[in-house]
Amino acid sequence: MNPYLAGIGLGLVLLAAFVLVGRGLGASGAFNAIIAWAVNLMAPEHARSNEFIAGYLGDGSSSPLKSWLLFEVVGVFAGAMVSGLLAGRAKVTTEKGPRVSVRTRLAMAFAGGVLMAFGAALARGCTSGQALTGGALLNLGSWAFMMMVFAGAYAVAYFVRWQWR
Amino acid sequence: MAMMAPLLKYGVFGDEASLVVAFLIGIGFGFFLERAGFGSARKLVSQFYLNDLAVFKVMFTAIVTAMLGVTYLGWLGWLDLSLVYLVPTYLMPQVVGGLILGVGFVVGGYCPGTSVAATATGRVDGLIYVLGIFAGMFAFAELYPLLKGFYLSGSGEAMTLPGTFGLPYGVVVFAVVLMAVGGFYGAGLLEKKFAAAGE
Amino acid sequence: MPGWISRLTLNQKLAGAALLLGAAALFASPYPGSKVTLDAKELSLIVASEADHVEAPELAAWIIEGRGDYRLVDLRTPAEFDRYHIPTAQNIPMSVLTDAGLGRQETLVLYSEGGIHSAQAWMLLRAQGYTAVYMLKGGLDEWNDQVVFPVIADNPTPEQRARDERLRSIAVFFGGQPRSAAATAGAAAASVAAPAAMPAAPKVVAPPSASGAAKPAAKKKKEGC
Repeated sequence: MNPYLAGIGLGLVLLAAFVLVGRGLGASGAFNAIIAWAVNLMAPEHARSNEFIAGYLGDGSSSPLKSWLLFEVVGVFAGAMVSGLLAGRAKVTTEKGPRVSVRTRLAMAFAGGVLMAFGAALARGCTSGQALTGGALLNLGSWAFMMMVFAGAYAVAYFVRWQWR
Repeated sequence: MAMMAPLLKYGVFGDEASLVVAFLIGIGFGFFLERAGFGSARKLVSQFYLNDLAVFKVMFTAIVTAMLGVTYLGWLGWLDLSLVYLVPTYLMPQVVGGLILGVGFVVGGYCPGTSVAATATGRVDGLIYVLGIFAGMFAFAELYPLLKGFYLSGSGEAMTLPGTFGLPYGVVVFAVVLMAVGGFYGAGLLEKKFAAAGE
Repeated sequence: MPGWISRLTLNQKLAGAALLLGAAALFASPYPGSKVTLDAKELSLIVASEADHVEAPELAAWIIEGRGDYRLVDLRTPAEFDRYHIPTAQNIPMSVLTDAGLGRQETLVLYSEGGIHSAQAWMLLRAQGYTAVYMLKGGLDEWNDQVVFPVIADNPTPEQRARDERLRSIAVFFGGQPRSAAATAGAAAASVAAPAAMPAAPKVVAPPSASGAAKPAAKKKKEGC
């Protein structure tokens, strides 16, 4: 799809979120909610004593899984699957460059996820929540974040090009 | 002109229904992410090798669309912008977090939202990436006592570009549109130059 | 459509549209700002009918019941709030009230020291579009007088005894105690000075149901991304 048209579609979805529920999109927050729920399940006292996790548990009156973001992310999964199936782009595969093995690629993917989690936790969001949402709302921190994401990515891209070429 | 939106804040529906709304919005989000081809790590990282600048195009088109929408709806008095949640600014953690996230992006090939989209279309690396996020979040939570000081540094207030730079809202909106359209033109030129070197 | 427009590519048309909309937006001021319109007649009728009040004993009953369908707002300064506040109340000082971004459909119960600020805040919030706003009649002064330090009879009749027991248990719940009718006659100023420190008891006793009522305060950190 023409990237500009896809962007307009995405922008309208974001606008719908603003108009319907007064908040924007997101993704990383859903992972936090799941972690909080899991830790609380297995070690409730530890969860309560950890300030970061406790924040997602609130006063305990409702499960951290009843999170707007979590439901949204489940929707992302569903929507992407539909689009992928319609376009014939859905197949079980590992995206990687020709010179690297699947194992290495998967290890890098895992490492990338770990880094991403730290980045998103510190920044209170990721590209969906901060860059897209905050960008549209002219949020100062979000714009700073966005620029740093591009900076960090461009800076390191050269050093991992063996993964993709 | 009466304020009617955000609908949730005006009581048009409740918290339970908003979860359903979340799911539906998520579907739209995931659908367009995949439409743009962002379920593929190779497509995403092409941005950072200047072959295919779709990430920039999609992202900034979305930002401009929503931004113009919010501006006009607010101006018309249909949307009460003060009721739309603005994430508080913690400048240093956000700057550092952004850098780390950028590195994670090229190393892993995805960001949280696109990794979910990738997993949904069968990418094994997307799934492993998701597992990495879980591991990283858990590690962050465990390390939180050490990181707390840095995590909380900054104003913690909701700050906007117009507010901070003392510019009228509309001027900033126009500036963003100019920058985006200019950027799209430049992106087209860069792609022509570097496209051959890619896939 | 003029020839040159139809000869543009889709992308060029999109860019043109964006630039036009952006330029027009130069004049936009999307924030509602602080000027509001109020319907004077409607509000004066509501004030006259006294439908805008909540009595102190009513509020006390709600708190004990653990009702969670309203938000109790303390309009005083943070310092005053820390010294003493009604359990389950949230501190939103007068000066930031209109910026607090509370949902328009929420039920709000406002209180201040005596009731003047809460009356003024009531008017402002109604003008902003909140419809379910109520004031605690008499403010903290009434609260102390009727709930925390209620007057009980010195020689109670059987019916009075039952009532007094109820008042006593409510008073104790909120960290206070009843006063005798005789003593009150002379020491009129006692109730105002009374809760010198925030009684620890109510905060601890209240939690299981009442803190569930504190929907705003203990809410999950959901609003992140």
